Amino acid sequence: MAIDVKNLNYYYRDIQALKDLSFSVTQGDFFIIIGPNGSGKTTLMKVMAGILKPKKGRMKILNRTIENYTRKNLAQTMAFVPQMTPVDFPFSVIEVVLMGRSPYLGMLGVEQEGDLKIAEQALTFTGVENLAHRKLDQLSGGEQQRVFIARAICQESQIILLDEPTASLDLAHQIRLMDLMEKLKKEKGITVVMVSHDVNLAAMYCDRLLLLNKGEMVCLGHPDEVLTFKTLEAAYGCTLLVDESPLGKFPRITPVPHKFMDHLQKS
Amino acid sequence: MNTDKPLLIKRLWVVSFSLMLVLLIAMFLGLSLGSSQSGMKAVFQNLFGIEPHDPMLDTIIWKIRFPRILLAALVGGTLSLGGLVFQALLKNPLAEPYILGISGGSAIGAIIGILMGFTRFPGVSLTAFSGSIATLLLILVMSSGQTILKKDALLLSGVMVNAFCGAVIMFLVSLTQDARLHNIIFWLMGDLSMVDMPQVGILAAMLLPCFFLLFWFSNSMNLLLMGKEMAQTMGVNVQAVTVILLVATSFMVSATVSYCGLVGFVGLVIPHLLRLLFGPDHRVLVPACVFGGGAYLVFCDVLARALPDQGEMPAGVITAMIGAPLFIYLLKRTRR
Amino acid sequence: MAFRISDMLVYRSMAIFFLSVASFIIFLGTPSLARTVTDQLGRNVTVPDEPRRIVSLAPNITEIIFSLGQERRLIGVTRYSDFPSEAEKLPKVGSYVHLDLEKIVALKPDLCIAIKDGNPIAVAKRLESLKIPVYAVDPRNLKTIMQTVLEIGGLINAEKRADLLVQNMDFRIQKVKSLVSNVTYRPRVFFQIGVSPIVSVGTHTFIHGLIVLAGGTNIAEGPVSYPRFSREQVLGLSPEVIIITSMARAAIFEQVKAEWSKWPDLPAVRNQRIFLEDSNFFDRPTPRLVDGLELLVRLIHPELFKEAE
Repeated sequence: MAIDVKNLNYYYRDIQALKDLSFSVTQGDFFIIIGPNGSGKTTLMKVMAGILKPKKGRMKILNRTIENYTRKNLAQTMAFVPQMTPVDFPFSVIEVVLMGRSPYLGMLGVEQEGDLKIAEQALTFTGVENLAHRKLDQLSGGEQQRVFIARAICQESQIILLDEPTASLDLAHQIRLMDLMEKLKKEKGITVVMVSHDVNLAAMYCDRLLLLNKGEMVCLGHPDEVLTFKTLEAAYGCTLLVDESPLGKFPRITPVPHKFMDHLQKS
Repeated sequence: MNTDKPLLIKRLWVVSFSLMLVLLIAMFLGLSLGSSQSGMKAVFQNLFGIEPHDPMLDTIIWKIRFPRILLAALVGGTLSLGGLVFQALLKNPLAEPYILGISGGSAIGAIIGILMGFTRFPGVSLTAFSGSIATLLLILVMSSGQTILKKDALLLSGVMVNAFCGAVIMFLVSLTQDARLHNIIFWLMGDLSMVDMPQVGILAAMLLPCFFLLFWFSNSMNLLLMGKEMAQTMGVNVQAVTVILLVATSFMVSATVSYCGLVGFVGLVIPHLLRLLFGPDHRVLVPACVFGGGAYLVFCDVLARALPDQGEMPAGVITAMIGAPLFIYLLKRTRR
Repeated sequence: MAFRISDMLVYRSMAIFFLSVASFIIFLGTPSLARTVTDQLGRNVTVPDEPRRIVSLAPNITEIIFSLGQERRLIGVTRYSDFPSEAEKLPKVGSYVHLDLEKIVALKPDLCIAIKDGNPIAVAKRLESLKIPVYAVDPRNLKTIMQTVLEIGGLINAEKRADLLVQNMDFRIQKVKSLVSNVTYRPRVFFQIGVSPIVSVGTHTFIHGLIVLAGGTNIAEGPVSYPRFSREQVLGLSPEVIIITSMARAAIFEQVKAEWSKWPDLPAVRNQRIFLEDSNFFDRPTPRLVDGLELLVRLIHPELFKEAE
């Protein structure tokens, strides 16, 4: 098991963000967490990344409780890709990617030739090698994200966590990103855990899906099992049309605006 | 594909060495110029033991100018480094070393010391130092607990405390009518003139460990710029590093202020200038600020002493006169 | 033969004895070129017997040295040493609150004379650590000013001249005292040293002492040396004489006089007793304070002089 969570609870002051969550993520899986706004997706991601400490319950990473990890060890095991690039971040692409090596280096992070090679490989993998010396803020959103993924790859971790990576990308880049995640999974055996708001993309790519609502686990399993209109309508609170995608054996979810409700009734 | 970036060690050496050279040149200028016209040739001869040798010039160079230049180098380096660290910690390009209440608190402490009739050393410097530590503690309490890590809480508290202290300072100044008013004004403008070698030695002993400590954490500062949460996922103990950086920097800035008052602009302009020249990597910027900032202040002090033919200007005036246009120029450069 | 040897021994021992005595005397007896004195702050200072290169660290000290006729010994003064006007030609070593250490040292003085109120102690200490003696004075009123004149006279071998000067000062002060002793009423005096804001003088200033000696009442007396007043407060205190000194020019004086004249109920305005005087007679601790005293008496008790005439 890459990640194993049991009875996980987290609250901010008196608001219960996560309630008694228990699930596990198999190694090498492409695992996606979905749910409406306020369902606790981001909180769960932060707890998994070690940024927040669970108030109750326990979490195991690679069969070791998270408390048994030193900060650096944890960084060597799990890499986090943020949703947005930090503001006022003047570094160049190669400098950012090399930061991924810091869990393996001393306090001053003095990089050796070997580290440079790993960084170069990561850049090639994500397809941004010709941008190596450009400043990060000169790149487009999609390119910046691939740089951060390259940094995560450079961290040589077995698990990569991504927080709503497709949120601000256009259609082409969304697909490109998901393809990249699949490539990571297939070629490097990395476990990819992603929080997403795009249910259809999730359906197309993931191995297993976790649906969260109000901090509780609604459903966990293959997209077919989780993405039924009953569970989805209850969670998202709107009318949905669920059918099979013309592209393959996975569900396709279409939200139904009010004006088409009659049309739906008829069919 | 060419991702050859010169490895850190080499960059570090090149930058440090070139700036050290600039510092040495500035120091030589500082030793040669002063209110008693001695001339650079005479100084050169004195330094290298070439005849003719004037013992009075020796006294002037080593007993009067040298401690002052050392002080300027230490203070310039400290303020630049302080500005650099606060800009990284607070993620704000306008941050400068006095921003966390240090200027307000130390000024009030110094004014109280002067009004009570203490001499500069050790009396007024102790009251000034206590003042800045007191305001720092106040700010830490105001933005306490977990919110120390919350964006801008520290910064806002610092700005507010400084503003309040400014009002108190103006009040105290308005009450003073006699010669002590002069002392207060000179202190507020930054005054490098009142030190001798043992005092500079004490300051160096306080500052040098801080320089090394901050260098040790320079990579952590790079990672912190990514955001506190991100840095944590990369193995940085964000809480501990923040506290260490805060305490070490505040201590070092308070120590310099207690020696020579409020010299402005160095801590704001120099980090930006060096970042423009040498890139954003703090592992290179920390030594660059120490040497470059030191050279800048030594140079400004030379101008402050050599330019006016009657008396000397406070160094803080020159740093502002040069620093402000420089800052505006930098602002325009980075806009492009 | 034996006799000659013992002779030689005797001669030799006598020679050695006399040589030792002589060198002892020479060593001890050589008149030292310096002596130790105690300055007005109680510090022991080793000063040269014949100081020839004196730096004065305050304008009033410059004045005193000139008044003792010893200006040839003076090689450096502070800024604003403007009396007498010859003093302005001397090299400047910064201002008395912000002394320029380097300039002082470059002049190679053999004695510096400092005042307690204003000179930074740190500079005095640095000068002493560079083996330049610093003699400090602390003139706070007429009595200590006279003491200062005597002490400085002693330092620069002008004792006779100092004695004469102090006797003259004392004589004039006594004359004023006796004149004033017959006075029945002490007018209320407002001595304005600051125009904006309005600042007057408290009990611990030279001027207060002068006002009292001159037979007036200082309405601003109190523990604060330079108290601030609002116009209302001054009106409430009803001054009968207003004396204004500031470094300002006559034009500003007319303005200030006009300001006060807006309040015709003020006794000083009614009786047209608003005067402008040169601040140099009143704010420097020098013999000229006696001139200031004589000026004040004429302003405060003009009736005494009418009788004299």
